[in-house]
This record gives sequence, structure tokens and C-alpha cells, in this order.
Amino acid sequence: MRWLRRYKPFARAAAIDMMAYRFNIITWAIVTVFEVACMVFLWLAVYQSSEGRMDSSINGFTYKEMIVYVVLTTIFTFIAFNDDTLWLINRDVREGTIGNFVIKPISYRGKFIASNVGAFLMMSLVFGLPLYAASLATLIGIGYLPVISAWDFIAHFLLFLVASVLACLLNGAISYIFGILCFYTTAAWGLNALKTTVVSFLSGTLLPIAFFPPVFRDIVSYMPFAGMSQNPVLILMMKYDYLECAKVILIALGWLVLLELIGKLLFNHAIKLVTVQGG
Amino acid sequence: MIQVQNLVKVFRKPVRGKGLFGMIATLFSRKYTETRAVDGVSFDIPEGEIVGYIGSNGAGKSTTIKMMCGILTPTSGKVLIDGLEPYLKRRVVAKDIGVVFGQKSQLWWDIPLVESFKVLKEIYQVSDADYGERMAFLSSVLGIDEFLTQPVRTLSLGQRMRADLAASMLHNPKILFLDEPTIGMDVLVKDKIRTAIHALNAKYHTTVVLTTHDMEDIENLCSRIIMIEKGTIIYDGPLGDIKRRFGNIKTLTLTVPPSVDPNSVPPFSNDVTMTVEDDKVLLSFDADKVILEQVVQYAFSQYHAIDMKIADISIEDVVKTILSQQEEEHAMAKKV
Repeated sequence: MRWLRRYKPFARAAAIDMMAYRFNIITWAIVTVFEVACMVFLWLAVYQSSEGRMDSSINGFTYKEMIVYVVLTTIFTFIAFNDDTLWLINRDVREGTIGNFVIKPISYRGKFIASNVGAFLMMSLVFGLPLYAASLATLIGIGYLPVISAWDFIAHFLLFLVASVLACLLNGAISYIFGILCFYTTAAWGLNALKTTVVSFLSGTLLPIAFFPPVFRDIVSYMPFAGMSQNPVLILMMKYDYLECAKVILIALGWLVLLELIGKLLFNHAIKLVTVQGG
Repeated sequence: MIQVQNLVKVFRKPVRGKGLFGMIATLFSRKYTETRAVDGVSFDIPEGEIVGYIGSNGAGKSTTIKMMCGILTPTSGKVLIDGLEPYLKRRVVAKDIGVVFGQKSQLWWDIPLVESFKVLKEIYQVSDADYGERMAFLSSVLGIDEFLTQPVRTLSLGQRMRADLAASMLHNPKILFLDEPTIGMDVLVKDKIRTAIHALNAKYHTTVVLTTHDMEDIENLCSRIIMIEKGTIIYDGPLGDIKRRFGNIKTLTLTVPPSVDPNSVPPFSNDVTMTVEDDKVLLSFDADKVILEQVVQYAFSQYHAIDMKIADISIEDVVKTILSQQEEEHAMAKKV
């Protein structure tokens, strides 16, 4: 495990960087309060106009569950999706700084994984802990998130932590693949927009995947995106039994291995195209 | 230690049309212009040698260096560092090499220099004892301890280059690639850098490959010279041979008043060649054969020079001369 120590500086630097963006985080908090409020009113309107009114269940979600889902998904994406992998790769390619990493005994991918993990740990400790504690206490307190057995809740919370780490790594792997495409095109902005849209749509961040049309829904739930936001949140909400938890975690793990493999093959091809300007 | 075998690097650039229409056409066309930046280069460098890899701008020096350290993948041919191809075994080879690009710093811009070194210490897994010993050595030869606690962005060009050089030596690489390490440096910094390279080579037996435009760098450091022009090697041999071939050539550039016609002045001797460029008169001669002082006196008394400048032969001149000599040889061979 000694070789892991080579990556420690990158994890540490990313963690420190995260704290350097305190002001961004304040603006995020303000924007988010309004966004969550909008979603709450939207779902309120949806459920009120449905046949069973507020007691109805739409695609397996009651009104209360929907609100819990919106709140927890918002916090989850804030904590787990912190990576500027795509922009950093784009900069390394444009400015030729990629050479600085190629000549060092570290893997380019490993550097980004270390950064992702460092940022994730810092965000989880500084913001995740208080945000989850406050929101879960409130949601359980007002009866929106019923807890039947404390042990059941703790077990699901631990599974949620595992799924969170996988979600962070999946997001990093997808960013990395999109980032490597910067070797082939200068359209980094477009790539990033594409990645963000695809992820937020297919991961269930905008809308639970259960709301999609039947066949599409089944396909999407087996794609890697489901494990990036919807599945961890549903584990935390105890919507999955242990067998389903194990299933979605294993699917996420399988995708992670596959995506890392694709990223590696893509990088091995892309690096041959590098032409460093000047001399 | 380093083997380069028939190395070729071809850069392909899409042909771009003119104007807006041409730009749109480029999207659909697959035409490329090919540049053979490095075209069949071969050489061997044994351990502990300091080699000057020289040539004029765009000759293919940096491209070769980048292939030797694994940044670029050759189009054909190969590079072997201790028997391994660096662009295939990046992480293994990276431990054994140190690289400095004069134009690009590889230090972390915003953090104090000493923090950059600590990051490198972890990346290269340098032990505490080795780190202490090397830092002491590098501080003494490069004088980096004066600015060790400053962020890299606040360093002057000379300080930054010394820092970059120290950073590349921290893990005690077997081979050091230096791409124009003295570019834009003043005399004192150049001197420090040269001393450091010498000290490193003497202490750790490090193999050094450096590119430079500075004749003094070569005279001070290199025992062997490889000269490249338009992607092919035009000279590979000891520094002494080049010196014997070109001697200690100096050029006096004189500013002559309009009243003097330089062509009517009798030549100093057959060993001094005179060329006229606008209002300047250039006198070139071998300082080992002709006494400099006498030429200077002659310039003042016969040409009535108002101003003068003394310069050593430049790399560009050497390249030009070698090329023209080769052309002559070719022409001779054809006649025979």
C-alpha cells in the first residue's frame, strides 16, 4: 500500500481547495433554498391535482416521500459531485502541462481519483455531517421519513455511505472520460454541458427514474447514472430492502470497473496524439 | 543508458482554407500537411556523460527530448532508457529521469517552494534521510534556501529556474534532461546553474542531456555534442573536434564613419575575413591564430571605427558552416 502515499498530496490539495471556495458555498446555499422551495411547491401542485389528493402515491412515491427525496438529493449532489476533472484535463491539454504529469511516477487517473476522494471527504465532514444530521432530524421529526427500527435505519445509513463513495467515484470516472475527449476536440464547454445534462437527467436528480416511461425506465435503472444519485438516496430513505441495496451497490461497482477500463483505454489512445507546442 | 534508434516524429496538421468558407470546408476535409520534426535520429549515450544537444530553432531538439522522457510517442523508431521505452513504461522510467523545460515551470504556482518540494518528495517516495541530504546539497550549489518559503509565482525568472532545477534533482535521477536551462538568465545565474550541473554529475554520476543556444554552456559543460538540423543529425562527436574545426572564431562588428570606404582598406591578413553589411563592417578571425588586440588596433587605425562589438561564434553560425561544408562535400562527390 506504500504506493498509495504518492497520491496523498493530491487528496490533501483538493481538500484544501474545497475550503477555499467558501464564498461559492454560501451562494450555493442561498440558491438551493429557493430551488428546493420551488420543487416543494411544484410537487404540492402535482399531488393536489391528482385523484387521491395528498394521500395518493405516484409511481411509488407519496407526497411526503417526494419531499424527502428532493431535499436529500439536493444535499447529496452537493456533497458528492465536486470535481473539476474535465476542466483540469482540458487545461493540461491546451497549455501542455500534461507533460508535467507524464514525466512523474504517478498515474494521471490516480491523481484525479485522489483529488475526488480528498474533496469528497472534506465536503462530507464539513458540510455533509451537519446538513444530513439537521435534515434527517427534521424530516424524521415531522414524520415525513418514518423510522420503524433504529437498527434498520443505522444499517441503511452505513449502506448509504458505501453507495455515496461509489457515486463520487462513478461521477469522477464519467468526468474523466468526458475530459479525455478534450484531447480530440477543443469543445470543452460543450462536453461539460453534455455531461452535466446527461448525468442530472439519467441519475434521477431532476426526477426519480420511476417517473420515466416503462421500457426506458428499466434501461436507465441498469445504467451507471442511477447509482450516482437516485440509488444512494433511496437507500438512505429505506425504500430498498437489503437485497435490493446489495443489488444496486454491486451494479454500481461493476460499472465503476468498466468505466475505469474505458477511461484507461481512451487515455492510452489519446496520449499518443499529444503534440506539445513549442520546439 | 540512453539508446535512440532511427527515431522519427511526424506532426500532422489539417490544411486550413482561407477565410470563413475555407474554415467551414476544413470541417469536412481530411487533408493534412506533414512535418517531419525528427527524421531518423540515432545515437547512444553512456552513463555519466554530459551531452549537448544543439541546433537552431525548430531543428527538432525539444521534440527529441520529449520523446526521450516519454511525453511524445515516436511515429517510428525507438528510445530505450535503461532498456525500457519511456512512452510505453511511463511510470517506471519516470523514477529514473528528471526533466526541466526552460520555458515551462513544473512547480506548483501558488504554494511556497518548500511545499512543492515536499509534494515531490511524496510523489517520488524519497526517504527523509535522502531528502535532507539532497536539500543540503542543492541549497549549497543553487542557493535556493534564500527563497524557499516564497510562493513560486513571486520568484524571479532566475530563482524559478534554480528552483525547477533543484526540483528535478530531488529524487536523484539517473538521467537529467534539460531543455534550454539557461534561457533568459543573467551571467551569475547561468554560472550557478552550470556549477550545479557539474557538481551533480561529479557527485552522483548523473547522465545529462541538455539543449541550449549558448556556446558558453556547451564549452563549460559538454564533453560531447550532437548537432541536429531539420530533424537529422549533422554532427555527433567530442567538443574538441568542433573546436578544431571552427577554432576560436570571433567576430568584430565595427561601425565605420561614412567617409571611410571599407573596401579600400588593405586587409589585415589572410586569416581575417571582412564582410560589409550596410554601415557595419564585420571582421571574422580565429583568435588562436590572430592576436585579438592587434585586430582591434587595426580596426581603429585603418577603419576609423566609431564603435565596436566582439562576439563569439553562435550556434547558428556553426550549423550554417557545417551545412555548407556538407553541401560542398556532396557537390565534390557528385563531380567525382
